[in-house]
Amino acid sequence: MRTKVILLALAVAALVAAPAFLSPGLVNASIQMLIAALFASAFSLLCGQAGMLSFGHSAYFGIGAFATIHAMNAFNGAGLLPTPLLPLVGGLLGLVSGIAAGWFATKRTGVYFSMITLALAELLHALAPHLKEIFGGEAGVSAMRMPAWGFSFGSNVEVYYLTLGWVLLCLLLLYLYTLTPVGRLTLGLRENTHRLRFLGYNVHRLSVLVFAISAMFSGVAGGLQALNIEAANYVVLDMQLSASVVLNSYIGGVKVFLGPAIGAALMSFFGYAVSDLTRSWLLYQGVLFVLVMMFLPDGLVGEFAKRIREGRFGLGWERLSAGLLFAVALVLAIVGFVCMVELAQRFFSTDYRSMIVGTPWPPVTLFGREWLPFSPVTWGLPLGLMAVGLGLLNFASHRLDPERGGVS
Amino acid sequence: MEHLFVAVLNGTIYGLLLFMVSAGLTLIFGMMGVLNFAHASFYMLGAYVAYALSGVLGFALAVIVAPIVVGAVGVVVERYFLRRVHRFGHAHELLLTFGLSFIIAELIKLFFGNFPVDYRVPAALSFAAFRIGGTDYPVYRLIMGAVAVAMFGVIYALLTTTRVGIVVRSAIFRPRMAEALGHNVPLVFMGVFGVGAALAGLAGALAGAFYTTNPNMALELGVLVFVVVVIGGLGSLEGAMVASLLIGVVTSLAVGIDASFADLLGVVGLGDWARAVGGPLTLQVSSLAATIPFALMLLVLLVRPSGLFGDKS
Repeated sequence: MRTKVILLALAVAALVAAPAFLSPGLVNASIQMLIAALFASAFSLLCGQAGMLSFGHSAYFGIGAFATIHAMNAFNGAGLLPTPLLPLVGGLLGLVSGIAAGWFATKRTGVYFSMITLALAELLHALAPHLKEIFGGEAGVSAMRMPAWGFSFGSNVEVYYLTLGWVLLCLLLLYLYTLTPVGRLTLGLRENTHRLRFLGYNVHRLSVLVFAISAMFSGVAGGLQALNIEAANYVVLDMQLSASVVLNSYIGGVKVFLGPAIGAALMSFFGYAVSDLTRSWLLYQGVLFVLVMMFLPDGLVGEFAKRIREGRFGLGWERLSAGLLFAVALVLAIVGFVCMVELAQRFFSTDYRSMIVGTPWPPVTLFGREWLPFSPVTWGLPLGLMAVGLGLLNFASHRLDPERGGVS
Repeated sequence: MEHLFVAVLNGTIYGLLLFMVSAGLTLIFGMMGVLNFAHASFYMLGAYVAYALSGVLGFALAVIVAPIVVGAVGVVVERYFLRRVHRFGHAHELLLTFGLSFIIAELIKLFFGNFPVDYRVPAALSFAAFRIGGTDYPVYRLIMGAVAVAMFGVIYALLTTTRVGIVVRSAIFRPRMAEALGHNVPLVFMGVFGVGAALAGLAGALAGAFYTTNPNMALELGVLVFVVVVIGGLGSLEGAMVASLLIGVVTSLAVGIDASFADLLGVVGLGDWARAVGGPLTLQVSSLAATIPFALMLLVLLVRPSGLFGDKS
């Protein structure tokens, strides 16, 4: 317990100190990471703790964003709602829409629930371009961050601290929520609704409550996003955002409290870091998600936490060497796969197709080397790396698994 | 009158197309309890495979080969992906297919680019079947409708009259019992998954040529197919048929209506008030056509939660 508190305090201190060491671009990326982390945590309250998988959470994020933008324009950062308090509007509208949508959606459970949330989000997405007064059509709605409380909110460092404050506060509230009786009942929704009903709880009302709270925090995240970019467009209601929050949360692990937040922060950081290098980031994200689903069903953070709990980090020599082999094999397989995807991406791109004139087809440049389209090295090298990597992975995982005769 | 006829005919054929995709989805759900998120991706895959092959094999052969390829992909997905995560529960299976649909869409973008490809009806088939109300009615639409109807007939006959059909139905109804009686239920699952994928692929290969073939087609159709399956009742083939036709015809009719709620309120003398309020009240029904299926679905879920023909709650 004490190590946990110390670790958390260190993490918060690092987050507070971060802008001093980061370039403006990285500060912006950190803001995005914080917002993604809050959104994923809000989403996971619903899908991880209550076991209700929503495929339309971008709707509440988007509603929060638009509500905040309109509040920014209406109040000009003064009066009742100075700039730092604007995400409250997003949270409020998120809560209201969450109650309305949740009342419909939680009438059913399981896949039906997922389908209803998806349909509601698509309904809003289909309707939004036609409601120009609210969603601003193609151009969207924009606003200005006004100075308040002695801060100008002109630099993104100030926006960073504002976002950090809101995200930490919301995460704390979400954590405290899990400790309340309602928070415990939320787990009951996931585990056994029949039993809850027999115990005399109103399951539908409870589900609506959880749904609304999740939508409320999603709305706050949307509001922070609107404050950060000073604009909102109906593209934010797109399926893409709902999909990425599902992927990120499960990659982190929805059953550990900080899993989704860490997963989302990591994924949006990688998205920022590699978006200049590759166009296939979404593909890698999808592949990572499927691999996590198949081999680490508790998610990356969840698996890590489980191993620490079970004390499975014994440092025997054999175990260490097997672990090292596993890591090397993983790197080999990843390098092979990335080479393969990037080569394919370049050979099939429209730029390359327009370069083809006559027969010898020109090579493409990748990692500072020229690759010919029909040379065996071009395809043999990545394939070979992948094959060797996967073979070694298989071998190493056998040695690491005590149930299959490996060292423990 | 001609407009109405054309709208209903278009809607019916679009509905039949929806049915071709949703048939596999609803059968797979009824049998394995898995809502296959990647099902509409099979539809898209069918269109792209047929497009890629039509340059080499010609259109007719491509439309025949594409479903076989897509069916094989479906078999691989069931055997090597879904079966692995089966022990983690249904939510995990749904998420896995969700991830796969994501990967398929990204791979399509990688190989074919993030824009519509030039996949079109061959010249030999793009002539008018008949003239009505001054416009030609393309024969290709009728072909799509006929293929869907033929497919429904074949599946229905297979399921109701043959021995294979009986085994499949029993595996859907009581998988444990069918297994205890010595039938290879996992093989049946794999087969139905493959056939379902192949049907979606066939629909894609046919429809991709007529409508547009782009990387978003899976999502656009996929959401509609889920709506169809929920309205019809998960697991019911007849329900899927009725709901597909309903959605197809209703959306097709709605596109042709220029009236708005304000006009409706005008009947009782509130027209000017509604126009002054603006917003949703002055939206034309035609621009709301895309939202009607979702509204219909919410209505069905409120009135009859298990769907029109569903019995599982």
